[in-house]
Amino acid sequence: MHTKSWHSVGPSLDECIKCNVCTTYCPVAAVTDKFAGPKYSGPQAQRFREIDQVQTPDHSVDYCSGCRVCNEVCPSGVKIAELNARARAHIMAEEGIPLRNKMLGRNETLGKLGSIVPPLANFGLHNPISRIVAEKVMGIAKDAPLPKWSTSGTFGSWMKKTASQRLKSDKKVVYYHGCATMYYEPFIGKAAVAVFEHNGFEVLVPPQNCCGLPLLSNGEFDEAEKYHQNNINKLLVYAQAGLAIVGTSTSCTLTLKEEAPELLDMDGEDSNALKMATWDIFEWLRELHESGDLKTDFVNMQMVLPYHAPCQYRAHRVGKPALELLTIIPGIDARESHARCCGIAGTYGYKKEKYQIAMDVGQELFDFVHEQEGDVTMTACDSETCRWQLEHGTDLPSRHPIEILAAAYGLYDLENRKLASE
Amino acid sequence: MVDLIVIGAGLSGMMAAYTAAKAGLNVRVVAKGLGSIHWSAGTIDVLGYLPEAYEGSVKRPFEAMQSFPDTRPEHPYALMGEESVSQALATFVALSKEIGVPYGGANNPGDNLLLPSPAGAARPTYLAPQAQLAGDLSRTEPMVIVGFKGMRDFFPELIAENLNKLGYKARAAFLDVKLISDQRDRNTVQLAHGLDQKEKRIALASALKKIVQPGERIGLPAILGMSHHLTLLAELEEATNSPVFEIPTLPPSVPGVRLFTALREHIRGMGVRVEAGVEVINSQATTANGSPGKVEWIESETSARPWKQKAPKFLLATGGILGGGFDSNIEGRVWEKIFDLPLTVPQKRTEWFEAGFLSQNGHPVFNGGVTVNKDFQPIDSAGKPLFTNLWATGNVLAQYDPIQERSLEGTAVATGIAAGMALSQ
Repeated sequence: MHTKSWHSVGPSLDECIKCNVCTTYCPVAAVTDKFAGPKYSGPQAQRFREIDQVQTPDHSVDYCSGCRVCNEVCPSGVKIAELNARARAHIMAEEGIPLRNKMLGRNETLGKLGSIVPPLANFGLHNPISRIVAEKVMGIAKDAPLPKWSTSGTFGSWMKKTASQRLKSDKKVVYYHGCATMYYEPFIGKAAVAVFEHNGFEVLVPPQNCCGLPLLSNGEFDEAEKYHQNNINKLLVYAQAGLAIVGTSTSCTLTLKEEAPELLDMDGEDSNALKMATWDIFEWLRELHESGDLKTDFVNMQMVLPYHAPCQYRAHRVGKPALELLTIIPGIDARESHARCCGIAGTYGYKKEKYQIAMDVGQELFDFVHEQEGDVTMTACDSETCRWQLEHGTDLPSRHPIEILAAAYGLYDLENRKLASE
Repeated sequence: MVDLIVIGAGLSGMMAAYTAAKAGLNVRVVAKGLGSIHWSAGTIDVLGYLPEAYEGSVKRPFEAMQSFPDTRPEHPYALMGEESVSQALATFVALSKEIGVPYGGANNPGDNLLLPSPAGAARPTYLAPQAQLAGDLSRTEPMVIVGFKGMRDFFPELIAENLNKLGYKARAAFLDVKLISDQRDRNTVQLAHGLDQKEKRIALASALKKIVQPGERIGLPAILGMSHHLTLLAELEEATNSPVFEIPTLPPSVPGVRLFTALREHIRGMGVRVEAGVEVINSQATTANGSPGKVEWIESETSARPWKQKAPKFLLATGGILGGGFDSNIEGRVWEKIFDLPLTVPQKRTEWFEAGFLSQNGHPVFNGGVTVNKDFQPIDSAGKPLFTNLWATGNVLAQYDPIQERSLEGTAVATGIAAGMALSQ
């Protein structure tokens, strides 16, 4: 148990001036009585939490979705969401972690298991009867937008299969695919590889594992630490070689950069080297563009595109690079969402008792999409779980901006989600 | 490409962003968090007190300002000139109407309003949201100050008693109307959201009808709705057949949140991107011998490496000591955090404060700041601009004390608009 962590995020607590701006903008407290709000569950309750305390006060903190809107609006720099994540971990250590949370925390294991015989796994998980059973037995909401395992092979198997066709170049980049691209959405990785190679970069995909975020947000800090240490072991050599480690899953890259080191107090040299080498893909592409090295041989895309920068993206605090690059593609009329959060917040909205809260939080985003004038055929968002929630809430397909960029290069079929060359 | 980066999302930054966007610039606003407007009473205080008139508050701020070129030549109002200040405030009033949070002033144009404060004092201000105008203490109707059971930090008895002491007729009353579930934190914003719901609005109207006496006006805490605010105000006045007004509360201030939300939505509609959670920590400028330098970029803190933001123009609106634009150390050194601009703030701790907490001269530490020219460009001791492409507005500026003068929002609006215009030329 990371009890020492109580006190490293802790000092930011003293910056709290109790202005309640966090509660004013908290999307969860706005829709439910079950969460007392970030100020109460964070800096306020934190005053009453102590190391080795038998009972932690304020269990409503488990209803914090971890979206980090509180951190974003706090004028004083209090790490409210991190205080809450630690408090949740403390409660979990105290009361034991429910099997459901353990399962949802192990995205990578689930991905691997389901990928053995994906059609069977999809049938097993996605038929209405098993969803009812899963809700009753496990507490996984029957209507929540769970992903489907890829039936056309994993991203890894595609990389192996196409190894001889891959670009060789002096310019190299390391791709961090994350579990969702590996097992559920390999086409995101293909689109990313296509964009990297189109810009002259050879793509290295070294062994890597889950970033550990699902474990962190389900309160399993000890397990998360193993995951993060494993990623350091596997990726450090690339970071030390000065290569950028670029990811398409914005919550994974945030975890490698900041969430894991901060929540787990892993602030050593190696962890820091990995942090400083990690980029979200559009953050990296924007740099490329600003130095004049991004190719702009785009085809006209002619579309109205509602774009939602997920809360996990905003937590990077790098602005909205995906939006900036989407707007340079001819024909794209990108409409920026100002919704605070789609609601799903990783695995939060999968939980039976939180499903409706997640849908209510997401309503402002769904409304934004529906209010857009013009012919809206899809939405765009950088985070996989948010895209699934967006599709669930709007009935419109949702795409990663990297898919749109790949399509704008003429390399990708946006409708069928495959490379033009496939 | 971005033409202008505004640092700070307080009132002066937002007004500068609005002005520049209106002039056709592509503007990005970056802010560490969302703050100052959310803490303000929502009023626009232009000039409430002057040390030379300490016994009473300022009655006519623009007349009082006319002596500034002689008495306070470096005051932001003196730099602009009284007429430009007045024009800027007229621009704000027009904008407030356009964006759905209408502001007004005293019946006699040019006068300050006196409005009841949450402590029951008579507070001078120049412009107030529509919902606060019926609290005008120059009106003669007696007041019933109404609180809600269970709402903290709002004390009708205290307000009524203090108003009585000042010679205004007021009495206190409490309502036992449940606006939100008992499980919720009863902060002002939550209560205001509760009152956006139709059944709560009806419940409040009928409860008020029972306690108001003919001829009275009704003062309520500033929680009268968020999205349905003006509707609720009209409904309450119609149901009770009495004027209804809001009294500002402790933060979060609902009138402040309404103003900020409306301003942000409006400038977003003009293409301005407003990014919160972005703390600017550094900058890089080229210097030229003898002539002004140029700010090349600013850097903000991120989840990993700093984010370098380039733009042709930058505007500093980070606030002073209170807003977080300045930092200090234990020896008493005070510095501007991003460009390390020269400050007029005393650099010795012993010189920061006057002896009395409520000293009529204010405290030197709040009077100090960045010195600018008439175009609101920071200047050196010789009066020359330090950089060709940097402007500064609001509470970072030197030579006035917004707390002591009660001029915080007036100077923010006026200098924000003035700098926005200067940099757009």
